[in-house]
Amino acid sequence: MAMKQWVTALALAGAAVPLGLVASPAAAQSAPAKLKVEMQYFTLPNGLRVVLAKDTLSPTVTVGVYYGIGFRIEPRERTGFAHLFEHLLFQGSKNAPKGVHISTISNAGGVLNGSTRYDFTNYFEVVPSNALERMLWLEADRMSAPVINDEVLKNQQGVVGNEVKVNVLNQPYSTWPWIDLPMLANTNWYNSHNFYGELKEIEAATVEDAKQFFDSFYKPSNAVLVVAGDIDYAATKAMVEKYYGWMPKAPPVKLPDISEPRQTAEKYRARTDKLAPKPGWAAGYHVPARGTPEWYAMGLIDQMLVKGQDSRLYRKLVAETGIAGEVGGGINFPLGNMFNYQGPMLWSFNFTHDANRSRDEIKAAVDAVIEDLRTRKVTPEELARARTKMRSSLYSTIDGTGRIGLIDLLAVYALFDNDPNKVNTLEDGFAKVTPELIQKTAQEYLRPTNRSIYVIDPGAAQPAAPAAQQGGK
Amino acid sequence: MRRMIASLTAAALLAAPMGVAAQELPSTPPPIPAPKPFKVPASETYVLENGMKVTLIPYGVVPKAVVSLQTYTGSINEGPDTWLAGLTLDMMREGAAGMTAAQIAQKAAEMGGGLAVNAGTTTSAVSINVLSDRTTDAIGLVADVAQRPGFPESELARVKANWNRRLAIALTQPGTLANAAVTRAYYGTDHPYGRVLPTPAQFGAYDAGKLKAWHAANFGAKRSHLYIAGRFDAATVKAAVEKAFGGWAAGPERALIPVNPKSGPQVLLLDRPGAPQSTINLVFPAPEAGSAGDIPTRVMNALLGGSFSSRITRNIRENKGYTYSPGSSVALLPTNAVWTFNADVTTAATGPSLTEVFKEIRELQATPPGDEEAAGMRQYMAGLFVIQNSTAGALVNTLATRDSLGLPRDWLENYVPATLAVTNAQISEAAKRLPLDKMTLVVVGDLKVITPQLQALPELKGVEFKTVTVP
Repeated sequence: MAMKQWVTALALAGAAVPLGLVASPAAAQSAPAKLKVEMQYFTLPNGLRVVLAKDTLSPTVTVGVYYGIGFRIEPRERTGFAHLFEHLLFQGSKNAPKGVHISTISNAGGVLNGSTRYDFTNYFEVVPSNALERMLWLEADRMSAPVINDEVLKNQQGVVGNEVKVNVLNQPYSTWPWIDLPMLANTNWYNSHNFYGELKEIEAATVEDAKQFFDSFYKPSNAVLVVAGDIDYAATKAMVEKYYGWMPKAPPVKLPDISEPRQTAEKYRARTDKLAPKPGWAAGYHVPARGTPEWYAMGLIDQMLVKGQDSRLYRKLVAETGIAGEVGGGINFPLGNMFNYQGPMLWSFNFTHDANRSRDEIKAAVDAVIEDLRTRKVTPEELARARTKMRSSLYSTIDGTGRIGLIDLLAVYALFDNDPNKVNTLEDGFAKVTPELIQKTAQEYLRPTNRSIYVIDPGAAQPAAPAAQQGGK
Repeated sequence: MRRMIASLTAAALLAAPMGVAAQELPSTPPPIPAPKPFKVPASETYVLENGMKVTLIPYGVVPKAVVSLQTYTGSINEGPDTWLAGLTLDMMREGAAGMTAAQIAQKAAEMGGGLAVNAGTTTSAVSINVLSDRTTDAIGLVADVAQRPGFPESELARVKANWNRRLAIALTQPGTLANAAVTRAYYGTDHPYGRVLPTPAQFGAYDAGKLKAWHAANFGAKRSHLYIAGRFDAATVKAAVEKAFGGWAAGPERALIPVNPKSGPQVLLLDRPGAPQSTINLVFPAPEAGSAGDIPTRVMNALLGGSFSSRITRNIRENKGYTYSPGSSVALLPTNAVWTFNADVTTAATGPSLTEVFKEIRELQATPPGDEEAAGMRQYMAGLFVIQNSTAGALVNTLATRDSLGLPRDWLENYVPATLAVTNAQISEAAKRLPLDKMTLVVVGDLKVITPQLQALPELKGVEFKTVTVP
């Protein structure tokens, strides 16, 4: 969310690249290799958690700093503040005035970005490995002494305002379903507010708010530093100690209760989108707690229901009935994946359709797919296919331009589990899932009473149904 | 500050003692030594008897492989039948070699992949990214879909309805509208590049027979190049490629149509009443790929608007806050190249944003950049190349782009040195190829608010403002 992605997206989704990985030699047609990310993990006395992962693929390093503060947790009269603050951290620090951080990385031949998500805010750069020490110094300066004043705040309020305009206010469907659905499904304010922010609240933020936010959440004990790529472990560790070890240990962060009660009745909302030409249909279900056996099962259910053209919802809604042209969905969709969050989360899917398909017909088609999974055991073949897709997708997450997927996985397992080595056990977690566990998980979590449906009425084409509530704006 | 520097040769233990006694961060930044050389991963290219080229790129250690068939056809070979290529490629997944769409999708999933099809302007691709141990199966599946699509009539109406729905949604997005308008104005409607949207009646008439005929006329071995990158056993893969593609008919030679872009100045406006932002597209011709001006133009682009530390971004985003998403890029096609600047700017700042953009272009034309800025941009472009070419999929894209544009085989090896050799003066020279009196400009926004702002710009004085609609 900090800036446009300067690294060109690949036309081929997730090409396979070995990033910090050692796989047993996978000669063609041999038994499937298991993934093992080589790493070192340690914690400084001030609480900063550090993950180092060495590889020899290209003479570059990826540095990521993940702070344990996401957009769920922001001040109540300041929606969008976590994201606005992320922007402010690109505006200069004590020893690197505005522009220096960005031009240093660019002039060294690197790229940078940052993003704000449910439970973390991250800042990362990919640079030629000769620039590693400078990057560690820059990130330390930003962690300890960002410069936030009226001038940069006003500038970034303008930039973020434009970000909201380009992604929400001037776009058909705007906040649907990625903001609308969690706002409907969740009851706790932390999970159910507009985290992109209301323009007037973004514009009302003050320097004092920023200082307070920084003091509350931006400290070594609430952060993870990941360095991956062309590194020497001992030398990198020494640099980390030199540039971060001096920072004092701050009192621990106090996070509010973000839990959600078990949902017991289906929720439904419709709103008219004045720019949208076609109706939209989205549903979200609360998922099992991250890391539990049921959560692993839910990951495979996601593969079976909505991932790829062989998935059940695709077959039903696209291929068989022609209701939709594509169905997008997932856990923590579209802002993340099933690994990089910590707290209540939805599995959701959505699609647009023509106005001549009734909502009753759509719901019946969806229910036919969901209820079949709840009442009939999946075949071992289908489960195996889901696991294959999951493995392949995991490799693609870890892999990818600039090791960004790799550092994300390592960082979130350090941040939320204090154990980045868990990345190497994910495949085992999926391997343990049985058809019985799939059914048990579907029974509880794919209940209609655990579901929230959010539909869009096209503003240009037809008026909203009289019963429709206006939400989300 | 006195610090104990931890020994760099000490074995790294998981709980190493703190080697630090400092109380604050050293205020002097550590130096950045010279970068290590980048070695372009090796690849092997050979030709089958029927003329199809094959490139193998062994890369990495993750047990996956990308199989991508690139065929030199696309909208360039549609004639007046806009979107025929896109629809044809999409339909190829709906049944091939006796398999139904469901069987194709399931087979792909069992390999750990999903079949991706894409029709571009001059290259169309059938690709899949699979687990290594299924590479040979993936080659077979790609071959079936590319060579033996069935175009089942039973699926056609549904697939066309999807395209129509996507089109309806696309037409409500200001970026799509701007792109369609600028493309049409620049290339003209008598070239496939300028014909971006079909009429509903025209698209509605495409039937299975038409798709079959287009596929037969445009797909074949001579126009195709298969790229395989990742981890695989080369001997096994070569045998599988021969078996799957060796019998494919040679088919036609590649057919390109020269472009004749309309020279500016052109200013086109699209009304979007009440829009909170204006979507700006500014287009100029650029030097063709591989020409003397190619690499200097890329470096110039990064310095002017194409990178986060570019002049335009620093100005209208980081200084003035007019926009979140400014950017510029060079698009290279065979026989043609363009430089484009685009941004979504706050409505009230439409005129002021353009004032700054024009000013930055003029300044770079008038004065070569200083050493520090220019060297930084050269290094940025060199570094970006290394970062972007460190995945199997990216290597396929880079090599396929090289081959499609007819660049020499050693183009990758020469790219970094050529980039670092661009002079400050050449950067300024490249900017001179963006003559403001020849601009093609499209603005999508709230015309009652922004037209007066645009009329006040000296650069647009005397240029006719054409209000257009899309479609």
